[in-house]
Amino acid sequence: MDNVFVNKWSSQLKKGTLSFIVLNVLKDNEYYGYELIEKVKHDTKIEIAEGTFYPLMNRLKKDGFVESNWVEQKSGIPRKYYKLTKQGEVILVKMKDYWISMSATIQKLF
Amino acid sequence: MRQYKNYFKVKNIEFKSISAQRIYNDYLKRVERTISILSEKDKLDMLMEINSHIYEAMQQDGKENEIDKLLITTENLGLPEEFLIPVVAEKKLIQAVHTFNPKHVWQALKMNISNGLGYSIVSILYLGLSVFGFLIFTKIFFPSKTGLFYMNNEFKAFGFISNADEMNEVLGFWFFPITIVSAVIIYVLITLLLGMLKSK
Repeated sequence: MDNVFVNKWSSQLKKGTLSFIVLNVLKDNEYYGYELIEKVKHDTKIEIAEGTFYPLMNRLKKDGFVESNWVEQKSGIPRKYYKLTKQGEVILVKMKDYWISMSATIQKLF
Repeated sequence: MRQYKNYFKVKNIEFKSISAQRIYNDYLKRVERTISILSEKDKLDMLMEINSHIYEAMQQDGKENEIDKLLITTENLGLPEEFLIPVVAEKKLIQAVHTFNPKHVWQALKMNISNGLGYSIVSILYLGLSVFGFLIFTKIFFPSKTGLFYMNNEFKAFGFISNADEMNEVLGFWFFPITIVSAVIIYVLITLLLGMLKSK
């Protein structure tokens, strides 16, 4: 019962922080979809449900935080590269500030 | 090779195994079916993205054979009918707001109605708009049964009634401009509300 609750809670937490994680990963480099998923998995050890990644990228793009462009490949199957926009950089700073202040607040409760 | 009007082509991935090719073709068909209501540009973009994901996943080293690798990739992505719905709903909404095309507005509403009260209000307004359209039609063919009805100086009904014998229709020809203006106001309200919901 307790494990079920913790699993549910941690899955909600991961879901809630996924956009923050993706924006953080994109701050240093641009990545194509599959590569970005792998990078997030590798750096955070979080298993992303890949199906949730594309709706998330679409939302971040719609909100103006990331932009994308298709790059032709020798294989004939182009890659869609994502990168952070100026607006994305600004929002990321705000999110980071909030994250730091929230974790400090929670730490005090321990 | 799938080609959409005036845009690039989606190059199909070629598999060695016939079974893998079938699984891939079937998956892409399901993606196409799920995104069929989107604009040509959005359809192509979505299809290229899923195709690219599958291709890149297939290029990774692994112990699995081609079929297993493809199955793992498509399983990780999920069912197109499930994981693509949020993208389709959102893109459809943007298309509806940009074009004001009733067909796109209706499709966007159908997809977003479960997303909250806002869309329910827009749906009711849209239903109202359809009723006004219907009333203009009935006023042309059944003028005495459609309008604003009073009986003994008391309001009785607005719309179409089958038995209006003892009632007095007060609008006459003015029914048309009043209904059309009301419909336009509702339509503007719908598009404004959709715009607000989209930017939420």
